[in-house]
Amino acid sequence: MTTTTIHPITENLIPSTINNVATENALNLLSAMTFPTRKSEDWKYTRINKIIKKEYIQKDASGEINTKDFIEESLNAINVFVINGHYSTELSDANKNDGLVLEKITIDNINYNSLASNQTNIFTTLNTAYANNGLSISVQKNTKIKQPIHIIHVNTISNVIANPRTLIVLEQSSELEVIQSYYAPTIEDTFTNSVTEVLVSENAKFTLTKIENEGANSSIIATDDIKQLNDSTLRVNTFTKRQEFARNGINVSVDGQNCATYLNGAYSPIKKEHIDNHTRVDHLQPNCMSSEIYKGVLNDKSVGVFNGKVIVHVDAQKIEAYQKNNNVLISDTATMNAKPELEIFADDVKCSHGTTTGQFDEEAIFYLQARGISKDTAKMMLVEAFMDEVYNEIENDNLRNSIKK
Amino acid sequence: MSNTIIKIKNLSASIEGKEILKGVNLEVKAGEVHAIMGPNGSGKSTLSSVLAGRDEYEITGGSVEFLGKDLLEYDPEERAWLGLFLAFQYPVEIAGVSNMNFLKTALHEKSKYLNEDPISAKDFLKRVKEKAALVELDDKLKNRSVNEGFSGGEKKRNEIFQMAMLEPILAILDETDSGLDIDALKVVSNGVNTLKNKDNAIIVITHYQRLLDYITPDFVHVLADGKIVKTGDKNLALELEEKGYDWV
Repeated sequence: MTTTTIHPITENLIPSTINNVATENALNLLSAMTFPTRKSEDWKYTRINKIIKKEYIQKDASGEINTKDFIEESLNAINVFVINGHYSTELSDANKNDGLVLEKITIDNINYNSLASNQTNIFTTLNTAYANNGLSISVQKNTKIKQPIHIIHVNTISNVIANPRTLIVLEQSSELEVIQSYYAPTIEDTFTNSVTEVLVSENAKFTLTKIENEGANSSIIATDDIKQLNDSTLRVNTFTKRQEFARNGINVSVDGQNCATYLNGAYSPIKKEHIDNHTRVDHLQPNCMSSEIYKGVLNDKSVGVFNGKVIVHVDAQKIEAYQKNNNVLISDTATMNAKPELEIFADDVKCSHGTTTGQFDEEAIFYLQARGISKDTAKMMLVEAFMDEVYNEIENDNLRNSIKK
Repeated sequence: MSNTIIKIKNLSASIEGKEILKGVNLEVKAGEVHAIMGPNGSGKSTLSSVLAGRDEYEITGGSVEFLGKDLLEYDPEERAWLGLFLAFQYPVEIAGVSNMNFLKTALHEKSKYLNEDPISAKDFLKRVKEKAALVELDDKLKNRSVNEGFSGGEKKRNEIFQMAMLEPILAILDETDSGLDIDALKVVSNGVNTLKNKDNAIIVITHYQRLLDYITPDFVHVLADGKIVKTGDKNLALELEEKGYDWV
């Protein structure tokens, strides 16, 4: 006997038409799943009631937006617009690169839903069940795409739920950089539930930089399910700017030898913002390296969560895994919950993890003031100096400069 | 009549309820060098901290007039803009903030406050080159993070380099000689002597007489138990060296 749960969040939603079999499976899974409470270890510090107890509306890609407002010229990128979760071919730039294919996900795409964490993450299941449409990006073998792809997600009306779905496949020895940014200007109470599946094939190199900037009244749950094969390199940078609520889940399955995995993030919440970064790296094969640097500066009554899990599986020998999470609390009422986790089932590995949460160095502030630097500027300089380690992980200079602005 | 730069009147200050300064009187005029000597715990560092604006101290009485202004009413950065400089006994290491960016920001904020044109990039570099040479500061140190990984001597040289860049009207050197070998002491003193002119003034706070062999004071004051108990000329320093503080 199975129990069927009806979730208010799905009340008004029309199921996904990307792939009916996948949708059907997801709907079935969903009716048997419940949303996590704080009793669940993975959601201990993040309450989601406010998000899931609400009814949302779906909205298509119509709606007036001025694309220029969102394009960052200095990136010289292929700009792809996803409006209210819908990939809009009309608003997006035409692709002129050989060996790169940008299209809507169709039933013919065998990779669709093959990496998604439907079984374990209800938000992924929710996305699979209700994804409005999907964006597929694939890079052919031996092709290095020099021009970055900037996927610009914009929510245009209040109370909208966007379920953007992105599938990125890098074939053998290819290279690609993708930037995903999220906006919801001048509107309220939107919920973006984004899922990105990525396959990084043998000897391929992939960089994903996410910029979350939906504003003071919007929530985002962004899940990346990524698989790496032999000799591949992966970089995921997550920058959370103004965002009332963010839960980032990055799951990397390193299923190949000689891989490098870099996960970095920075967050500086204010007011009552809640920023949660969860990462999970599964080392399934030997001779790989993974490195994580997450840094936060928390102000007002904001809350930060960092949970980094590294699992070194049996036989995954010669793994080097480094993890670092440093935080500065600049108000007495801000909170940081940091939890690095290492689970090691192999014996020849080199792992380190460390987390620190502290206050500003008052001596340093006074020193700067005594030289004629105002207190506010001094604090800003110290924040910048603290965050630079993460910003320096961005390889694209133009992108780094635009994010630091 | 020469111009008064700072006039400290009956200044008392305490920290965590404990009174450290118990009525300090001191007047420094343009062109003068004053040395304040005293045993450990006499209140020397408290005096420099209070003047620079460290907020852990509570002013319990008295006043400080700096260039005719009520100094104690100003924030530390405003005191710097008005022309006060404190060379720290323990310069702070600030990772990730480059020495150059730090000085440029300090100069720009000062000119903003004084409604002056900011120094041009060219003049800034010129001044850096000239002033770094003055204290023989290594080129590499200029571009490093503020004091990060500097040796004790390098940190003190960097203090005097900053002083040279900011051109204060009153410089307070707090135990600048501590941790310096004789060569570094000469370099630092030479820097200070070069910066001295008829329009500015220097207060040297020190435990030992040896710095005063190189920076010659016009007045020597002995601070003991939060008060200036004796004032003399440079010979007083020699006498103190010989007889110790118990003699006072």
